[in-house]
Amino acid sequence: MSTIPFGTKRTRRWLPWASIAVPTIGWLVFGLFPSVSTVFFSFTEYSGFPGTPLHFCGLCNYSNAFNSSWSDFSASVTVTLKYVAGVTVLQIAIGLGLALLLRHRRRGFGFYRALIFMPQIFSVTIVGVLFSLVFDPQNGPAEPILHGAFGINTAFLGDKNWALSLVVLINVWMFSGYTMLVYIAALRRIPPELYEAASLDGAGRFRTFRHITWPLLANATTVNVFLTAMGCVGEYALIRVLTDGNYGTKTLGMYMFDTAFGVNPSLGYGSMLAVAQFVITLVIGSALLVFLRRREVTL
Amino acid sequence: MSVIDNHAADSRARRAVRTSGLQLACLVISVGFFALPLVYLALQAFKTNNEFLNNPTGLPHPWTVSNFSDAWNEGDFSNEMVNSLLYAIIPDVVTLVLGVFLAFPISRGWFKHSNALYGFFVFSGFLPAGLIPLFIEAQKIGTYNSRIGYLIMTSLTGAGFFFFVGYIKTIPREMDEAAALDGCGYIRYIFTMIIPQMKPALATFGIFGFVAGWNNLILPLVMLNDQSLWPVTRGLFSFFGQYSSQWPLVAAATIIVALPILVVFAILQRNLVEGVAGGAAAGSGGVAVRQNPENTQ
Repeated sequence: MSTIPFGTKRTRRWLPWASIAVPTIGWLVFGLFPSVSTVFFSFTEYSGFPGTPLHFCGLCNYSNAFNSSWSDFSASVTVTLKYVAGVTVLQIAIGLGLALLLRHRRRGFGFYRALIFMPQIFSVTIVGVLFSLVFDPQNGPAEPILHGAFGINTAFLGDKNWALSLVVLINVWMFSGYTMLVYIAALRRIPPELYEAASLDGAGRFRTFRHITWPLLANATTVNVFLTAMGCVGEYALIRVLTDGNYGTKTLGMYMFDTAFGVNPSLGYGSMLAVAQFVITLVIGSALLVFLRRREVTL
Repeated sequence: MSVIDNHAADSRARRAVRTSGLQLACLVISVGFFALPLVYLALQAFKTNNEFLNNPTGLPHPWTVSNFSDAWNEGDFSNEMVNSLLYAIIPDVVTLVLGVFLAFPISRGWFKHSNALYGFFVFSGFLPAGLIPLFIEAQKIGTYNSRIGYLIMTSLTGAGFFFFVGYIKTIPREMDEAAALDGCGYIRYIFTMIIPQMKPALATFGIFGFVAGWNNLILPLVMLNDQSLWPVTRGLFSFFGQYSSQWPLVAAATIIVALPILVVFAILQRNLVEGVAGGAAAGSGGVAVRQNPENTQ
């Protein structure tokens, strides 16, 4: 601990505390306190309407999840896991592909990269409306294309076999630019001598990628996989606009939002779902970190 | 000699073909997949509703602009634009300044347990989403359904704080001591010395904070009931639900909402893109633009 050079002898003691007081209190009141009390509310029965009582009911919400609401609960967990897996795998693959394509400093490439990065600066409302039009089964452009090419008829976001995959794709569309940029930054740090040596040894393009590029991107892959997975475990804003959680797209987050702020609000059960989402985030996050770190070492 | 010449010309030509092939692929992917949907949406905004229904996928003929004024008036977007600007700018600026005031003493180690304090703040970012208790709390303390209340809730977060701590450590301590000896006060020192030195970091976080604040949908959805308090994202969401059968009108409204952020992006895209690349290079990844409402509270 060092001493602060500012202030007089008297003010020196409390000056640092005064400096952090406002943001700390704000964070306690609007950050930490709500976060922690989610756990408290998950043990209660509360509708949230003014004047209605709050009952403490122990583990009632948890037992509901595993009994009367089991089908809804387990379905939303499954959807969440599929969603996270789908978005992460696709976004890594597409982001890496784009990075390999656009890593060089060439004329026009900065513009292309900016275009690919662009979707994520838009609100989910804009992206949601945009793709509701593109996938409008009556008047959207996707329907005639798909029908013309494959003869398939579908209601897209209104079809329970399609909706989840489409929402995953739209999420990937929105954020693959970020993954791409992280990969490009890492690609540019790979020493060019390694590629020269590889080409002298007669290594083909695939082998060069397999044995040089991919292993040296391990760090970036860790960052990308972790950020992507953690960013979409709790996703529901985009889903809210696109399908409102219908047609097999109700993730845990969407289920929580629906339960807490829907027609028949139950804040207690909703808080339990938020806690469940937290547990899943924690499990996926730590599993990923352990796996990715170990992989970095062996690669 | 001519053989060599031919060979060189041949390989040059092949390289040229390959380069232009690569260029073409990049163009098709970036423009076709990432820009075309938006362009398509924009085109619909220039059609009348009848024309859209008769010819949904073609070009507008003739081009009409009345959708924009209709959407602007019916969606009450003038009022919502003002709200959006307030909700994006005020919390952004306040958060940055408070973030510096929080990060400075911690990064200088002026507390007994500076590291523990830092760790505690970092750890709290991993706690469960507090949206439901925040909603209950807001109703109890009167920040629910209020413009001031919304601004207070979004301003007191300390976003960017972790990044700032590392950044301030690169500013030499000797400067603090010299300034203090010269009789510079604490607050004046932060505003006149520390903040100017942190310009690059503050600019990056300022831009991302502005974009995140402007784009937030969930928090306004939960916290703001009266239409007069809505930002454009919330307004567009309701507009979309209300006029979902009139695509040209909805398209016009979407363009209205997208345009300001698109202009910001066009001006600052270099900083945004570099911000991400820089964040990745530092290994922090701390500048993600994910719009998780839980994290932007």
